[in-house]
Amino acid sequence: MIKDFKEVYENRHEYAKDWRKKYPDRKIVGYMCSYVPEEMFYAGGALPVRILGSHEPQNVTEPYIFGMYCPFSRDVLAQGLLGRYDYLDAVTTAYPCMHLGQAFDSWTLHVTPKYFYVDMPNKVQTPHALPFLIGRLEELKRELKDWTGKEISDEDLKASIDLYNENRSLLRQIYEARKSVPCPITGTEAMYITTGNLLMDKQDANPLLKEVIEKELSRPAAKDRSPTRLMIVGSENDDIKFMEMVEQFDAVIVVDDHCTGSRYFWNQVKLGNGLIEAVARRYVERPVCPQRDYPERQRLPHVLNLAKNWNVDGVIVIQQKFCDPHEFDKVALLKFFESNNLPTLYLEFDVTVPVGQFKIRVEAFLEKLREDELW
Amino acid sequence: MITAGIDMGAAFAKMVIVKDGELIGKGICKVTLEPEEAVRTVQELALKDAGVRPDEIQRVGATGAGRKLVKNADVVVTDVTADAAGANYLDKAVRTVIDVGGEEARAVKINEEGKVISFAVNDKCAAGAGAFIEAMTRALELPMEDFAKYSLKSTQKIPINAQCAIFAESEVVSLINEMTPREDICRAVHDGISDRVSSMAKRVGIEEKVVLIGGTAKNIGLLKSLEDALGMKITVLPDPEFVSALGIGILAAKDSEN
Amino acid sequence: MEKKYKTTPLKLWDKAKEIRMNVYKEIAEAKEQGKLLIGGGAEGLIALATGFDHAFLVGEPYGASVAFLYKENPAFYQQIVEACDHAGYPRDLCSYMRNYLGSLLLDKYIFGGPFPKLDFCLQAGFCDTHSKWYQIVSEIRGIPYFSLDLLPFDWEISGESEKTKQLKREYITKQIHEAIEWMVKTTGRRFDDEKFIEGVTNEFESTSLWAKVCAANRAIPAPLDEKTMLSFYVLAVLARPKKEVVDFYRELLAEVEERVANQIAANPYERCRFISDSQPPWFGLDLFRVLESYGVVSLGAHYTFALSGGWEYSSEEETWNPARTPQERGIELKTRDDAARALADWWLTTGTVCRGVRHSGAGKIKRVMDIVDKWHVDAALIHLNRGCEGTALGQMDIVQALLKAGIPTMTFEGNHADPREYDEGRTFARIESFMETLGLKKIY
Repeated sequence: MIKDFKEVYENRHEYAKDWRKKYPDRKIVGYMCSYVPEEMFYAGGALPVRILGSHEPQNVTEPYIFGMYCPFSRDVLAQGLLGRYDYLDAVTTAYPCMHLGQAFDSWTLHVTPKYFYVDMPNKVQTPHALPFLIGRLEELKRELKDWTGKEISDEDLKASIDLYNENRSLLRQIYEARKSVPCPITGTEAMYITTGNLLMDKQDANPLLKEVIEKELSRPAAKDRSPTRLMIVGSENDDIKFMEMVEQFDAVIVVDDHCTGSRYFWNQVKLGNGLIEAVARRYVERPVCPQRDYPERQRLPHVLNLAKNWNVDGVIVIQQKFCDPHEFDKVALLKFFESNNLPTLYLEFDVTVPVGQFKIRVEAFLEKLREDELW
Repeated sequence: MITAGIDMGAAFAKMVIVKDGELIGKGICKVTLEPEEAVRTVQELALKDAGVRPDEIQRVGATGAGRKLVKNADVVVTDVTADAAGANYLDKAVRTVIDVGGEEARAVKINEEGKVISFAVNDKCAAGAGAFIEAMTRALELPMEDFAKYSLKSTQKIPINAQCAIFAESEVVSLINEMTPREDICRAVHDGISDRVSSMAKRVGIEEKVVLIGGTAKNIGLLKSLEDALGMKITVLPDPEFVSALGIGILAAKDSEN
Repeated sequence: MEKKYKTTPLKLWDKAKEIRMNVYKEIAEAKEQGKLLIGGGAEGLIALATGFDHAFLVGEPYGASVAFLYKENPAFYQQIVEACDHAGYPRDLCSYMRNYLGSLLLDKYIFGGPFPKLDFCLQAGFCDTHSKWYQIVSEIRGIPYFSLDLLPFDWEISGESEKTKQLKREYITKQIHEAIEWMVKTTGRRFDDEKFIEGVTNEFESTSLWAKVCAANRAIPAPLDEKTMLSFYVLAVLARPKKEVVDFYRELLAEVEERVANQIAANPYERCRFISDSQPPWFGLDLFRVLESYGVVSLGAHYTFALSGGWEYSSEEETWNPARTPQERGIELKTRDDAARALADWWLTTGTVCRGVRHSGAGKIKRVMDIVDKWHVDAALIHLNRGCEGTALGQMDIVQALLKAGIPTMTFEGNHADPREYDEGRTFARIESFMETLGLKKIY
């Protein structure tokens, strides 16, 4: 149920430690980018858990990470420096961006020395990206064997792929249901589901997702009138307070394009020529983050399709302060939405959200959207 | 030997008179748009307080942002060195000096001789010093002393945006509008500044004994927030706003010995 | 205070200036000479363009040139940065890029006339910015654009496998071929493999020679100071595949070695040796003159030494030395593929600044500490550069490592190409404090 995901989100470390008690011989790997091929780690017996921030001001990262780096990257590093992730056996990342990359590098120096660096191509549009990644994942398989002492068999990898595919499919089902009018769950609830999911063993998550689908998608909608339908677009986002604030007005967030939201689970591993090739292909072909969206802009049409298919009235662009990759795309993104008659509200986020100021902006935006509806 | 130490800060000019290593008089005045006037005024105040004539001053030391305005200075050093010298003079056990002034905050790591090992000064995106607290006292319509006392009565911690002082000010306005208890807002302001100052201080490596000096050191609310942020006891040196001036006064005497 | 060492000006100043001017002249005359005018990052595989008759307008030096306008022509500078601000590009993005985009959006070339009409853009993913910069340029101008993905090696200390390294070599080599085929198709022009081989050969030589020049600064007294070095390193940035740059660096090396042999110093008062980090504030190079007035010589930085490559790691000696070129290693480049492979390998093996904008941690610390050791460094001045997040990668950890090693270190915030973010007065005041902590008084 949704409350179970909320529980995990709010008690993520307890969840991980309980998991450790259940599986004392298996390892826990913290990861910092949604491009990390989790299936590989899971096939090796490890539990990958996404490392997120805690949305609290902190004073521990300044000696290690530049103040100009995004608040999220510093919030992430702070969690490690504050000892909250002392149960991790290793950390991993695929190249995320310079800021989160720095958080990762500092983490390996000061928090968890054991790490796996999965070189992920940035130019996913080149035909050479796939063979590179296939080779790299084969190497990763060997690295994991050296670490765990256990060879990853084809059966292990297939089982892992199936589990993760099921997870993605269930999340897609929930998102598909959000196309309905009225939308069966709020954006806040969806965020608890998707973010809680990142922190869990998919063996645990999948049954809970099924329960959500069976029992909670068909309950009477929280908002049975027709509230204004919104989409949120950005980088990492688990800003529950912001979601709650927006949805206290007559609005519901029905879909997103975030790396901790839909980009995480959107596409499946499609089996074909080989298991590792299938995994590699999934990551090369998944909805891109701006970091990887060149030379052609593939991200914009994808985001527009989400907006159209989910019948969205307006878009809130959630810009993490100092986040370069999303700032590069900002002008093109806003112009694209404008030329497709999609009103946008652009907000800059930090670790804590200035709820007062954002309320004014969001209210004004919603009034404008409704004005458009009225007229 | 009688020396004078002048700390020409951006907001306040401070001066001490030191006789054979003893502080015998001090003066403080606001720095206006005519800072040379502040130099004259603070000298008059300090000399009067010490009961000393101008011609009895044998050597003058100057520090602070406006140190070059002190034309008759024999020794001129920056605040960092003056902070170190003053703190070390008052207590040889000091190893970390935190100076939160009106416009600038500094952390200085020193050794047993008062020599600076490393220092950090607030950069952009970590802004926050006394001036911000003053602005908040006006927003909350409280005198500074009450602002500090209220903060100690707070029963809940409210995070304020950690980075940008402008955003932080907006957040405070929002909190006021939401009828958040003043005590909690006062504490939130102090916590916000403390986070920034302690972050900066950690860059130099905190080592006890830690002292707090500068104009804001008398703010007991800020002191408590800083102690919580660093997780250690912080001592406020006597006459904290004069420590830098004392430091340069002592250095002026030492310099004459050399 | 008496001078400790002899000093004389360098003989090659004018020649360096001449080479720089030639590059800009080429750009200005390209169209009328029927050459391709290519836009792209200097820190990229500019050697790929050598197979064509071309001129290359490299973005970063252009961005730096815009920054110089701040003092020379403040009104024009203001117009340019406002054009970028008004277009909506956030202030914290790469300031080279922002200056370039402002100029492009205004359609004003700072050397006169409208912004040059580029035929296409050729880029490489040196850092996050580079990958996206020319996507934006190509959209504004409606011109074709190709970018290669550079996945650098990790630092040696990481124990990256040979298999992964080989994958990266192949990945880049294949993209080089892809890029060349794309350029041929886009332009309809013939790609001259002989010229390409010559271009990459020159690139290896010029960057290796520059590394040797930098290595000479290990001598006490240092024959060069960083401000001077910055006037010379830029030739590799602008035009390393050119023969004249190779020849220049060869001459420069000879002159520098002569200075070392005769104990001719950059700073005759040398008594304290600094390194820096990141680009300097280009419009604020007086910073170095202030340091000199205290008897400090700034020896350079990892950035200055290695931006365009040229250093290889010796696992036996556990240090970095000027890289041996393929020629020096007895490898002959006969075909396009030979050249492509050699270029990919050179970037991966010797491009440590490129590596350092993606990988920091223990490896980058080791690189900087190696410089501290080999260049006999007394203190460090670290530019926390708000305009370049790539060079900022790992800086704070490097500061911690320097302090732990007992190397006095000062940081200052600034921006390499946006003067609005650099407070010169405050920085100089901080330097004054730092010099006090080092026990250094001004000499003049």
